[in-house]
Amino acid sequence: MGKQVAMIIDLNKCIGCQTCTTACKSLWTDEPGQEHMLWNNVETKPGPGYPQNWQASGGGWENGRLKAGQLMSKESHGSECSVNHREVFFEGSEQRLQRKEKMTVGANWDEDSSSGAYPNNYHFYLPRLCNHCTKPACLEACPVRAIYKREQDGVVLIDQDKCQAMRLCNTACPYKKIYFNFVKRKSQKCVFCFPRLEKGQPPACASQCPGKLRFVGFLEDEDGPIHKLVYQWKVALPLHPEYGTEPNVFYVPPILPPTYDADGELSDEPRIPTEYLRSLFGKDVESALITLHFEMERRKDGKPSELMDLLIAHDWKSMFKIPDVRLT
Amino acid sequence: MKTAIQSRRRFMQQLAASGALLSLHYSPAGIAATSSSAAPSYRSFEDLYRLKWTWDRVAHGTHGTNCAGNCAFNVYVKNGIVWREEQQGIYGASGDAPDYGPRGCQKGLRHAKYMYGGQRVLYPMKSVGERGNGKWQRISWEQATTEIADKFLDLVVAHGPECISYGSGTQMALKRGAFCSLARFANITGVTVPEFLSGVGDLPSGVYLTLGQVHTGDTMAAVYKSRCVLVWMSNPAVTRIPDAHFFWDAKYNGTEVIAISPEFTPTAMHSSLWLNPKPGTDTALAMAMVHVILQEGLYKADYIKEQSDLPLLVRKDTKRLLRANELAQHDQSAASGDKFLVWDEATNAVAIAPGSGSGDGPPATLRLGALRPMLEGSWRIDGPDGDIEVTTVFELVKLRAAEHSPESASEITGVNPNLIRQVARKFATAEPAMIFSGYAACKWLHGDILQRSMLLLLSLTGNLGPEGGGLQIGNSAKTKTMAFAFDGIGTAFRGISGTTWDYDHGDMQALNRATYGDELAAEIDQHYQESIRKAWFPSHSQKGWKMGFFAGNGGANWRASGKQWRKHAFEKLETIVALVPDAGITSHYADYVLPIAHHYERADMMLQSRTPYVQVLDAAVPPLGESVDDWEANRRLAEAISRRASERGIGVIEDNVNGRRVQRDYKRCLDLFTMAGRIKSVKDVCQYIIDTTPGIPKVSFAELAARGAIRVDGSDKTTWDDQSTTYHAEIFASVRDKVPYQTLTGRQTFYIDHDWFLKFDEALPAHKQPLANKGYSMRMMMGHARHGIHSMWRDDSFLLSLQRGEPDIYINPDDAARRGVKDGDTVRVFNDSGEFYAMAHVSAGMQPSMLFMYHGWDPMMFRDRQNFGAVISTAGLIKPTSMAGGYGHIGYRAAEFSPNQTYKDFTCEFEKAANG
Repeated sequence: MGKQVAMIIDLNKCIGCQTCTTACKSLWTDEPGQEHMLWNNVETKPGPGYPQNWQASGGGWENGRLKAGQLMSKESHGSECSVNHREVFFEGSEQRLQRKEKMTVGANWDEDSSSGAYPNNYHFYLPRLCNHCTKPACLEACPVRAIYKREQDGVVLIDQDKCQAMRLCNTACPYKKIYFNFVKRKSQKCVFCFPRLEKGQPPACASQCPGKLRFVGFLEDEDGPIHKLVYQWKVALPLHPEYGTEPNVFYVPPILPPTYDADGELSDEPRIPTEYLRSLFGKDVESALITLHFEMERRKDGKPSELMDLLIAHDWKSMFKIPDVRLT
Repeated sequence: MKTAIQSRRRFMQQLAASGALLSLHYSPAGIAATSSSAAPSYRSFEDLYRLKWTWDRVAHGTHGTNCAGNCAFNVYVKNGIVWREEQQGIYGASGDAPDYGPRGCQKGLRHAKYMYGGQRVLYPMKSVGERGNGKWQRISWEQATTEIADKFLDLVVAHGPECISYGSGTQMALKRGAFCSLARFANITGVTVPEFLSGVGDLPSGVYLTLGQVHTGDTMAAVYKSRCVLVWMSNPAVTRIPDAHFFWDAKYNGTEVIAISPEFTPTAMHSSLWLNPKPGTDTALAMAMVHVILQEGLYKADYIKEQSDLPLLVRKDTKRLLRANELAQHDQSAASGDKFLVWDEATNAVAIAPGSGSGDGPPATLRLGALRPMLEGSWRIDGPDGDIEVTTVFELVKLRAAEHSPESASEITGVNPNLIRQVARKFATAEPAMIFSGYAACKWLHGDILQRSMLLLLSLTGNLGPEGGGLQIGNSAKTKTMAFAFDGIGTAFRGISGTTWDYDHGDMQALNRATYGDELAAEIDQHYQESIRKAWFPSHSQKGWKMGFFAGNGGANWRASGKQWRKHAFEKLETIVALVPDAGITSHYADYVLPIAHHYERADMMLQSRTPYVQVLDAAVPPLGESVDDWEANRRLAEAISRRASERGIGVIEDNVNGRRVQRDYKRCLDLFTMAGRIKSVKDVCQYIIDTTPGIPKVSFAELAARGAIRVDGSDKTTWDDQSTTYHAEIFASVRDKVPYQTLTGRQTFYIDHDWFLKFDEALPAHKQPLANKGYSMRMMMGHARHGIHSMWRDDSFLLSLQRGEPDIYINPDDAARRGVKDGDTVRVFNDSGEFYAMAHVSAGMQPSMLFMYHGWDPMMFRDRQNFGAVISTAGLIKPTSMAGGYGHIGYRAAEFSPNQTYKDFTCEFEKAANG
């Protein structure tokens, strides 16, 4: 039995419904000071994402050392804010029904803002959470050792009692998946729903995903779907491997429908430029895409494919294989 | 944890306090103000997180909206309030398809918060001063129902109950118990119920015209059984969130998933192929595919000879189907005028088409026996006045299809002709092939023609019948709703299409004149009036519209031509009563608002054909404030009407519903409503439904509540092919058991020789250009939203933060640039009918010259309280053939054949808002 819990997200099934985001929100970040936090978010790619322009914010590792990173402003996250229901509906205000603060930045501001040019435009949805990295830059950056990686499952946590609000972890994380609670003055992040793991339950974002696109298990479990998709089939890849933190969230890269040539006939040119996918998932993305195409064609010809069966996930519960991670 | 619990306790205290102070809302801001104070002092911070995932009690529930999701939720209760919810994921599978679990969406997972939102109506309220000014007086239920009952009785005595409407939005009325309550109240009182299926443009008229029924949808798992799915007029990645995975599962399993839509939808994103016709040109595409299939001989001759009208003989002179009584030698029976003919290859003579003319003789069947009907050819037949030249419907279809060659269809649709050929071949050779369609076609003026051409594609290829085939639009549970409404009383129900109701009361003819010209307006009105004169369609508009009950917030929100309707119908009502859980435009302009319990505060049940489960709503917590469920609200109205009728000494009122005399004694309203006290609560209503609806395991409501969801019978396969199941399966009786269709010819009907269909060249499907507003070139398309179910959750603070915080409209970058509009600018969208404002959302996924907006935004969220309804100038567009009658199955049938409200045949323009 292994020590590292991991997740695979199949981008070919993600419909951007934000159910994962909402499941996480209502469980972990519905308190004052957390209005701007989405421990799990889904963003349209290409796009500036959440927080805005996180990919240009530095952090992570470079040549075995921490790379300098930028502190993201609170504003770059956007925020939930209350609506003037009371004033409009019950107190006679003539305002229109609206948020009390106008929105100019948002976690999903660019929802379906497609790139390229019609009809060969392209975009897809990218769900993101803390990668619970094998080499977490945040842990290394914390001067008071408030961040630790749990022995039993590799979940990375920020000890809320020890955190001194120095926010160095915020900058060190290249995925900008650590948030600052301005009310409690603590850094906070995804806990991979460890209380659920301890009861054999997958994290809320995975178990509540109606698209059935998140697999949860242990990396080292050779019979589990994670091991098979990451190591055997090699179709699940980490996001931005060049950041050097060795993420434990993996993605099956997206394949969009074919493009059109100038006459409106189908073209061989992929809809998402391969260069763009390489910039997200590294050089292994091409072989992953070839494997996916090959196995899909096999299945179309009526041949068996273990990979397709894995990804179809006939039995929803088969997507989760969580061993006992309780402390004894 | 302590912090959170404390905040919830404070919240409850506040709630109680606000009640005492007669406040009409509670303060979510209060939580923020009090909850950060107590600092946690726990030994281990991990325990803090562990504690957060705990609760006192778990109830079973779901969200009783009209989304077809039917998702089983656990509802977690802590300290007397709903803390959060989670999908149960208890589902099994049908056949070898993937299972139905876990089911849910972001709206469902947000409801525990939304139900405590500032929009909640907690107490009965009476409008003070001018309507819509947002000033209210809190009143008691007794005062509210007494005043409403008095107004109601005044009108009934003066005019009869016809002038009072009781409409339901889809939000709360889809709960079975709730809708039964409304239906029984309406049956007793005689109020007019504008039916919302056609009223919102959701009625698949083309399916009815062809098959004599509208319910052809299977479970969502049927998608997995298909080898080629055309996702056409539907966007399931947005509108069927819990079920969208079946499409991608199927794709991984080797199925071609082909999305057809002008814009690059979230569904197109994950499809095998995306076809992008121009808006409103889909029939040209479908008929071009028909042409390819016919030309290349890819059709299944045996299937269409047996099942369809394609082998029927047509007179070349009159273009009418040849009837048996037109032959020189024919039997004189009255039924022979309903007997249709084929040319039998075996005997080289005419023969009666099996299935037609169900007069006398042995039970009708579609079985051909020794008959070998010919599809192609021309013959001369001996008639009483000389030879009659005839050919077949199939030959006419070939000619009609030839007018839609891939090349000519390409000119209309913009889709490459070779690609049309490829897709037609793929579709025709896949076994089975399916068309997955939503309700979008029904919203085009000529959407019935598109549906007829889709069915033609499916019939030619033998795909109406097999599991994994079919036209997947919707199905309906055989719930005994109306049986409950009529129980012990009889039929005294006054239903009407919302479309004709609006046409009569909203002065839509004037709108037609202003928008589409005098000629078209006159043509529509002339046929409309003729249909009513000939009693093909009923009219309940003679007494005017004086009082309206609106259950849910639909009323003033979803109407096409909202501005016209609000000004000429809604605002002229003498009394408006809204029964709502959440405030919105309808309740805002009401005279009385009655507070209705929300999804987790009431008992009820849901049935949706997309999953083979009955889903419970069990009250997790008591209703907030003084809100009550719909049964109780209607009971209180019935009680007040009875009481006031007795006190005022109102005698029996003579009423007449569609020629049927009805005596209404309003003193007995309550007694009738509760079946003399037998029905004590909505749980008893649910029990009635469970006990009487076929295919539901006979359990007690308490057991259903304990289990959350139970599987209906006969759902081993992905399709509803068993007559004893909860859902309609008529087509299988025809395809498998050869029972004739409920159509004029007893067969799938592609050729309609009704006068009006011939006159408007609609005897066979053909592309017709969508209508446009003169001088405007942008076509605005709309669809169900990802972040709301109709108007519900559209104003949720968190879901707004996952959008742009306000209504946005998608625009192609070139269209935006040409008008100097940048992403995030406010734009003014306008035509001669009106204008509204929204934020520009620029995306290369939009086809040039089209705008796209997700619907459901409440008009209250827009500048001038005017949403997109302002430019949708289509509410008066009632196509004549949609009110045809006197022709077998064609004529008024409630919820089967009624004119749809049109939403799409308009154009507009946009510009950067001057002060945006």
